[in-house]
Amino acid sequence: MNNESRPKWRKVAYGGRQPGYDDNHTDESFLEEMVMNANVVKRDLLKVMIDSVSISQYLCIVALVVSTWTYTLNLVIDEVTLLKLDTSLLLAGFSMLLLTASPFSLKLLSKYVLNTSFFISGLYVLAPIYQTLTRSISSDSIWALAVCLLLVHLFLHDYSGSTIRPPGALNNPKLTSNISLNASIVASVLVASRLPSRLHVFAIMLFSLQIFLFVPLVAFCVKKFSLRLHLLFSFALMIMTLGVTYQLHHMFFILLLALLVFISIVCPYWLIRIQEYKFEINGPWDEAKLCFDITE
Amino acid sequence: MENVTGEGISDQIERFQTQLQMDGRGRKHRILMVSDFFFPNFGGVESHIYYLSQCLLKLGHKVIVMTHAYGNRSGVRYVTGGLKVYYVPWKPFLMQNTLPTLFLTFPIVRTILIREKISVVHGHQAFSTLCHEALMHARTMGYKVVFTDHSLYGFADAGSIHMNKVLQFTLADIDQAICVSHTSKENTVLRSGISPEKVFMVPNAVDTAMFTPSPDRLSCDEIVIVVISRLVYRKGADLLVEVIPEVCRLFPKVRFIVGGDGPKRVRIEEMREKFSLQDRVEMLGAVPHAQVRSVLISGHIFLNSSLTEAFCIAILEAASCGLLTVSTRVGGVPEVLPDDMVVLAEPAPEDMVRAVRKAIDMLPGIDPQVMHLRMKKLYSWDDVAKRTEIVYDRAMQSPQTDLLERLPRYLRCGAWAGKLFCLVMIINYLLWCLLEYLQPTEGIEEVPDIRPVHARLESVDDTCETQGKGI
Repeated sequence: MNNESRPKWRKVAYGGRQPGYDDNHTDESFLEEMVMNANVVKRDLLKVMIDSVSISQYLCIVALVVSTWTYTLNLVIDEVTLLKLDTSLLLAGFSMLLLTASPFSLKLLSKYVLNTSFFISGLYVLAPIYQTLTRSISSDSIWALAVCLLLVHLFLHDYSGSTIRPPGALNNPKLTSNISLNASIVASVLVASRLPSRLHVFAIMLFSLQIFLFVPLVAFCVKKFSLRLHLLFSFALMIMTLGVTYQLHHMFFILLLALLVFISIVCPYWLIRIQEYKFEINGPWDEAKLCFDITE
Repeated sequence: MENVTGEGISDQIERFQTQLQMDGRGRKHRILMVSDFFFPNFGGVESHIYYLSQCLLKLGHKVIVMTHAYGNRSGVRYVTGGLKVYYVPWKPFLMQNTLPTLFLTFPIVRTILIREKISVVHGHQAFSTLCHEALMHARTMGYKVVFTDHSLYGFADAGSIHMNKVLQFTLADIDQAICVSHTSKENTVLRSGISPEKVFMVPNAVDTAMFTPSPDRLSCDEIVIVVISRLVYRKGADLLVEVIPEVCRLFPKVRFIVGGDGPKRVRIEEMREKFSLQDRVEMLGAVPHAQVRSVLISGHIFLNSSLTEAFCIAILEAASCGLLTVSTRVGGVPEVLPDDMVVLAEPAPEDMVRAVRKAIDMLPGIDPQVMHLRMKKLYSWDDVAKRTEIVYDRAMQSPQTDLLERLPRYLRCGAWAGKLFCLVMIINYLLWCLLEYLQPTEGIEEVPDIRPVHARLESVDDTCETQGKGI
């Protein structure tokens, strides 16, 4: 083909085959509009580590719940102590919410109190049913199921927010976080059904539900209120949990410690390391993004 | 059994090779078009297959279409021009796609290939499972395969990543590939990693005889902007919600006609209520393809607000009816029409409004009849068929390979995926051996070639432009 006589190749689809060029002609301009790694965010190790504290914190909370369950099942803690624990947790939670949630209002408080009292009385009425719910199932199955459910709970938990929304939150919780919450509640019911008395069942159910339903909300509010307070609270919680689990079971303690180190040190470092393999391609074939919000 | 699988197959490959040597450039091909998408479904892929098949038939090739059953439309049907369609009795399970079964379609694909003495298998559309499976079986049996990609895909979300891996599998051992625009070619090459030399750009076209402008010119006292598209997110329905009230505010002479249905229709109707535009925005609902022309010719400007588009046949149809097009600058759209026939805008409301203003200013200089005549020169399905024919010729020239030569191509597809793909191909090969044993090729009756239709129609000027899908 004569280079001078043939017209310049154009990136167009109309007008049939371009004279002098085959349809599989690949021009020098091929892929020149491709952009690589345009939106890659540089991540800072310290920031990622601080972000990972939320996960460690929640892990510790679940470990504490498991420890409490174990102590109660071994009858180390009696039901009266448990009820006292419930009450103090409830009061502590409320005061935390009132301190951190802005704006503070009496109306909100009365709403919370009313809801909680309904909730508690409902739970008290249902406690006998929970106690005999799984009598025909062997304990081994119950433990295995409870462990699986807790793993599902931890895996699907919404660590960045809270399934129970603070009033006025915009978006609804995601499906996975709802599944996670339900898994934790079923696990609590299963564990409670192994306990000897109705009061025991009521106390442990109240305890578990308080933790699983409201602690993420409180933690979320605290984090929003002040990061320093959040870190302080988390580290105190971690030390406390490690102490409790050390007394409970050495293997459990080592496992938890390893997990905490993995989450707050190894994983952030790993994330920073694999950032260099990030390979993002953009070009004219991408679906356009709308530059305005769609309000339904 | 050893005897049959060992010698029977090598015999058959030899026989096949000699048959292939006879096929060469200029010889007539026997083509099997495979896709999940065909009439009675409607869309870009469907009309591409239909018109391409019609024009290939006219060029003297044998064309068979294979698709899945639509409702009780199952079995063999003939459509216009003696085009034979196999509606394979597999039920679609999601968005008109058949359930991916990898191997279960092999017996029927093999029978069709042998019965119809096919030489080239041509698959359409990257998310058609039937197409991927048929191409895989055809490769196993040593047929030449060509693939046409009709859409664009991203690289980021989980769905795209999986689709791209499937595409990589199919294209790893393809003879030639076709894309409908240069942007689509870039996209396909990036997604599948095949050599760009193997990818041909053959665009879509428009049936200009079907989309003719209105015989008398519309008055410019009132300017009508037509929108015909499915009202979904990807087609930019949300953009319309922003653009329409703004255009109505700026230009009191403008009226809108919106054809199409979809989940976003409610939003457009809400917008119409909110800005009291009931008398200026007409909502037609879904427009059957046969009535698209009559809607188009009632307008001056065609507005396309797609967010992604590999080619956009709708623009061609509008231009063929003599409408000036305003479109978002996405995907392959900038390649589709010369600059003086389309006004492009970024997919943002302000820029779209600016483009509409420019189009309204250009309007007095636009003659629909001239536009139509230009479109006739720019696009025709005959041209598309001739260019596709060249791709088939090239595919026939590619060397015959056996399984051991083909496996390394799959192995290169990835650390894990490569091994998985190889395993799939080996199982498929063994399945082929089993099928050869259970139902030897000799036992499958071949279809006699009856070609009365185009012989009869040869006198008619242009078969491709005969209208309608007369089924």
